[in-house]
Amino acid sequence: MNSKAPGKTPGDTAMSISGLGPHGERAVPANQIHLTETDADQARARRFSVAVVLHTTTSDWSKQELAGIAATLGLYSAALVEVVDCNFDVELQVAALGRLEHEPVDAVISIPIGNARVAAAHRALTQSGRKLVLLDNAPTGMLPGADYASVVSTDNFGLGQSCAAMLSTHIPPDGAAGILGYGVDFFATHEREIAFRKWMGHYRPDVTLVRERFAEPEGAGPAALAMVEKTPGLSGIFAVWDVPAMKAVRALAQNGIHLPLTTVDLGNEVALDMARHGMIKGVGAQLPYDQGSAAARVTLAALLGLPVPPWVALAGREVTPSDVIEAYQVVWHLPAPKAIIDGVRSATPAQGQDEGAG
Amino acid sequence: MAEEKATLRSVGRPRSVDAAQASLALLLNLVRTGAATTRQELERRSELGRAVVADRLATMIELGLLREGELGQATGGRAPRQMQFRQDAGSLLVSAIDQSSIALGIADLNGQLLVEHHEAAQLDAGPEVILDRLTTIFDWLLQETEKPAPWGIGLALPGPIEKPAADFEAVPVLQTVQSWQGFPFLDHLSMRFGVPIFARSGVQAMTMGEAKAGGGRGLSDIIYVKLGRSISAGLISEGQLHRGAQGAAGMIGHSRVGDELLGAVAGADAITREGLSAAEDGRSPYLAQTLERQGELSVVDIGHAAQLGDLFCVELLSRCGRMVGEALAPLTNLINPALIVVGGVVAESGGDSLLAGIREAVYRQSHPMVSRDLQIIRSQMGASSGLVGAAQVVVEELFAPATLQDWIGLGSPVRHPDFQKRLGRMTETMAAKAAPPAGRAAP
Repeated sequence: MNSKAPGKTPGDTAMSISGLGPHGERAVPANQIHLTETDADQARARRFSVAVVLHTTTSDWSKQELAGIAATLGLYSAALVEVVDCNFDVELQVAALGRLEHEPVDAVISIPIGNARVAAAHRALTQSGRKLVLLDNAPTGMLPGADYASVVSTDNFGLGQSCAAMLSTHIPPDGAAGILGYGVDFFATHEREIAFRKWMGHYRPDVTLVRERFAEPEGAGPAALAMVEKTPGLSGIFAVWDVPAMKAVRALAQNGIHLPLTTVDLGNEVALDMARHGMIKGVGAQLPYDQGSAAARVTLAALLGLPVPPWVALAGREVTPSDVIEAYQVVWHLPAPKAIIDGVRSATPAQGQDEGAG
Repeated sequence: MAEEKATLRSVGRPRSVDAAQASLALLLNLVRTGAATTRQELERRSELGRAVVADRLATMIELGLLREGELGQATGGRAPRQMQFRQDAGSLLVSAIDQSSIALGIADLNGQLLVEHHEAAQLDAGPEVILDRLTTIFDWLLQETEKPAPWGIGLALPGPIEKPAADFEAVPVLQTVQSWQGFPFLDHLSMRFGVPIFARSGVQAMTMGEAKAGGGRGLSDIIYVKLGRSISAGLISEGQLHRGAQGAAGMIGHSRVGDELLGAVAGADAITREGLSAAEDGRSPYLAQTLERQGELSVVDIGHAAQLGDLFCVELLSRCGRMVGEALAPLTNLINPALIVVGGVVAESGGDSLLAGIREAVYRQSHPMVSRDLQIIRSQMGASSGLVGAAQVVVEELFAPATLQDWIGLGSPVRHPDFQKRLGRMTETMAAKAAPPAGRAAP
């Protein structure tokens, strides 16, 4: 918290973990989860099979998460035998988990969609003898040990605080800031919004917060416009993840409105917008490849019968237009696309002017 | 309220709401606890006549407390319709406040947690800060998750909580923390949401939570031990939480170990202190590295080191476990519990070494019959046990037969006459405090 005081430039972008786990657990940092050589040999000998159940497989986040899981499992001779794309559909997830109960898999890594509606299906999977490792959240009522092995997540609370701190520099005294919130009961986005509000309440009590919700990312554009219309003097917006943020950016641009935005996740479009010094002024980025890799290590440890912490967390990384290329490399484990590099180069001379306008 | 009753009576055929509260309360609790759900079972269990049962059920459907549900098992003839308690008729706001964190949640009227949130907070920041945080998040959660209006608040707070002199009377809390002295925390929160509030000590609430949804589910005799900065225990005996004469039961951290108090030698602060010393003088290479990297150490690091096989930390945690076990053994002999659940930050991070130490001491010092089937486990609920327990406290208070009879005809405990009177008094007191003192005009 104190590392993100207003006005502090995030030169050192390593964030500390400030959020607590789904049951109030203190986080064990993901980089402390190791397999010893003996454990690794055992894992290789047992040739585990693992399935992954994701809300979607099409987002940049999902692709990198999968890459981290697959690469790490591969290192230990564990096969990633199935990847289920639930397309944000609760029923699809329940059906997939029900089917996996009868498939020859040793463990499942799953990101629960929604909350209580998928709890029973996840619990049943554990009862069928499979190890279950959750990404991002445990549905309310599910307990570590009995119902799942561990939750591996980015520190969503910290991401929300970062986004507040980065947006704050664009909000004048007694100004107004908007929140584009997700109208679905989803732990990660709840945590980000609660943290954003807490930071603003603490460090910028002068700022009036307004909020619109969207049920699907497509609704984020109209929601952003509605917020601008209802709130004269709105000086900035926080969107709870990158896809709705870019929907909002496009809707605002089409209406000739330029507003600073901060959001979570360094998707390609967001990175390009930042590189071109567009409306996105800051991103609290998750490290999905590293999260996937940690989830794979936790899964293997659980399969070997080793004690695993109930809450394994990764700190996020703050990204600003000035370090978007380097951040891209860290987050995506890839060189930044040419368009982003070109964007940064061509926008650099205009930076001062643009920042002033923000 | 009189008007509301008159309105109620004027709906449909006349109902004897006023005279029937005892039977209403009895039937509601039978349905709510699942003891009897069909009309036939209800008639049998309540020993009330068919017409009376039919009348009371119709009343409670009208009040929104019950609904007709699925068809039950036929016992010859038509399958009976089962009555269901409407657990969504209201919601319960629950919070567990600890030295360094707060947890908040919303539960349904069966005490089932629907949503929860945990965050770091400092108790010594003062009651206003915590109060503001609680109301902000409760407001947000209620709006965000579109839950029904609250019927009550349950709180789990550090330290013992006195029993109130009368129903709905608030008691002072956290008076041992200087910034909390004299602050009517419960009154403020109760007034803010316009609902009755019930508080228990953190360890008592966690014990209730473990019994309801954790390792103690279905057991009637359990001990819960909280190992945090302080050490305390909660007891459920024959299904009932034991609060003690003043409500202060369970303060085992005040047992003596040699010349010291147990809490001072086996609590999180003591463990951290020993870990720090071992990091500095090189007895623990792992902790030395961690200290160098982080600049500080916590009990979580020491637990993690023990799990990774750091000998100093393994020995430190087993020693603390044995000391706690020695304090628990006499209790075990006295109570004969089926289960001891160990929770709190030390237990969560302390791993197997701590648990082994506790088991060693308890089993060694217990009567063979007492320890024959005794299980000693680590809590899996974390701070959620405080939330589940706080919800259970509210459920038990609101649906206690004597309390239920007084509000059931009004449809919600918020309309309970005694609570309304109390609310009126609180409002007057607060208004008097807020008003500028008479006769002292500013110069």
